Amino acid sequence: MNAPSMALLRAFSPVWRAESLPWVARGCQWQQKAPFSSTEQRMAKKGRGEKKDMRITLIRYHLQHPLTPRPLRFSRNRALRHWTIHRAWRLYQTQLRLNRQLELERQYNSMAAACEALRLTDNHGLTAEDRMKLGGGGGAGDEAAAAGAEGREMGRLYRIAMLKDGVWEGAPIEYARIQTESPPREGWNHAWTR
Amino acid sequence: MALDRSAGRLARCIRCTRHERTLPIRTFTTTAPSRLETQETQASSEPPPPPAGATTDAPKPRLRDPNTVSTRAAEQQLIQHQRITPVGSRRRRAAIASTSNIPFSELPYQCFQEARAVLQADRKQKLEHIRVQRERIERFKAKDVAPQDEAHKEKKVADMRRRLEEQKILADINDPVVKRKFEDGEGDLNKPIYRLLADRQWRSYRRTLLLQRITQMNVVPDVLPAIDPVVSTALSFAGKRVQHGDFVDSRMSELAPSLQIQPYDKGKRLYTVVVVNPDVPNVQKDAFDYRCHFLASNIEISPTDTRVRLGLLGEEGQVILPWLPAYGQKGAPYQRMSMFVLEQAKSEGGGEFQTIDVAAVKAGGKYTQRHGFNLRSFVDKHLLKPVGVDLFRTKWDEGTAGVMQRAGIVGWDVEFKRKRVEPLPYKRMDSVRYR
Repeated sequence: MNAPSMALLRAFSPVWRAESLPWVARGCQWQQKAPFSSTEQRMAKKGRGEKKDMRITLIRYHLQHPLTPRPLRFSRNRALRHWTIHRAWRLYQTQLRLNRQLELERQYNSMAAACEALRLTDNHGLTAEDRMKLGGGGGAGDEAAAAGAEGREMGRLYRIAMLKDGVWEGAPIEYARIQTESPPREGWNHAWTR
Repeated sequence: MALDRSAGRLARCIRCTRHERTLPIRTFTTTAPSRLETQETQASSEPPPPPAGATTDAPKPRLRDPNTVSTRAAEQQLIQHQRITPVGSRRRRAAIASTSNIPFSELPYQCFQEARAVLQADRKQKLEHIRVQRERIERFKAKDVAPQDEAHKEKKVADMRRRLEEQKILADINDPVVKRKFEDGEGDLNKPIYRLLADRQWRSYRRTLLLQRITQMNVVPDVLPAIDPVVSTALSFAGKRVQHGDFVDSRMSELAPSLQIQPYDKGKRLYTVVVVNPDVPNVQKDAFDYRCHFLASNIEISPTDTRVRLGLLGEEGQVILPWLPAYGQKGAPYQRMSMFVLEQAKSEGGGEFQTIDVAAVKAGGKYTQRHGFNLRSFVDKHLLKPVGVDLFRTKWDEGTAGVMQRAGIVGWDVEFKRKRVEPLPYKRMDSVRYR
């Protein structure tokens, strides 16, 4: 069986009062031992202390603000490992960006090649070279007639593909103007009429 | 006791729950506990006596290191027999116990190793690029071109070489071992990566400081019209380093200094070193003249061979004007001693550096006159290119008279004094026009 605790007695009874004060109250004994103030008199006066530089105040505020992250203090090996990982991460990000850029470039080139192929084909899907190979034996009059028809039909798909009708169908009309970084050289075309 | 009991709950909160009350609370200390110190000293001299609590006939407990114990039993032994708390976490102690001799690049940190794998793969790719680029250069050089396209071919080869150098640097720049070696000063300056890092370090502060000194003290428009330093210089008199532009005691500068010229691009080259004092007072014309204190040519410098002892250069092939001690006469203002490192011209093909014929220069006599030495003329005559600069200053001090006497320079007992400026008539006190 445990012995009964003396804690309550110690706290309240004058018999059990300790000689020394509890540690939280120790500071009370030491106050105002010196007969003089160690600071300047004007600093004690209210509102007339020395004016701190605003920059110092701000720096202290931001350095000691709890939201300020603590500075990175690493040992040498730790710092080198940190550096290694950082460099690898930067390298990886660079490679990603380059790959994306190359992919975009590849897509653009492929689209340009497709448009060029469309421009050179007629409605039968034949280029001029194909036609030469196939219809080499045709008469002269027929050829001239065919050339007129071909001229009309040649690249028809390309022209259709280049039409800009209805490309802004789903998008807000504000996006129809090409977004530029600076205003146009002449702000408004006053001469324009429908 | 009562305090222990009252602190019990708090302690349970602080403590790591894994240890299950076996370990007392450990507060943060930066110094080793006194018990640890005694234990270490005893361990070196004699086996420790058994602790007071233990019986004498018990077997002697093994000494444990608080940094490396990692099993629960070992921890118990450490606490009971040596009264020392283990340091840090058990995981950390186990890692320390097993990884003391592992080289840095093999440290078992997962993210670090992943990062190293990424960097290694990139380096492999870069090495492949370098190999391909080398082959390409060889193939291109072997190709025959029309005579009018020779210049174009030369230019293209130079471009390809530059790209190759860039690749070499990119292959190594991400290596932590390279970084560590460079920081320790163990970098091999024959390799392009260390040269690049050294150059960067020089340009980050010391070159800026040098430029500030030589522009503030007007060395640059006074002695030469302009300079863009690409080699770093360090001057030392009798083994003592002198900061750029510092005052040097005349007894220190009595003997020729040694100059460290550090180039940051590969290959050997020939330099001319000249020391010019642009502040020699000339009383007749009430102005200042130039004086050459040292002139030597054909000094071979490479990134790893950088030291030049100006007093030990060859008499025939190199030195044109031997070292004259720096001195400033009494009463004269301080005198700037500017040292220039000049790169000698390359021959027609662009490969070899031309040597300067020292005997011819001496015979010519124009540049063997110390007084009135014109560095601009010398540079133009020999097609030199200023690549480095250094500066120190001298003035009259207690040793100057002795230095001048020993060197046989006349005028050690001359003192310069300011000419009295007569006040203008209307400022004379006894004049009628004084007001």
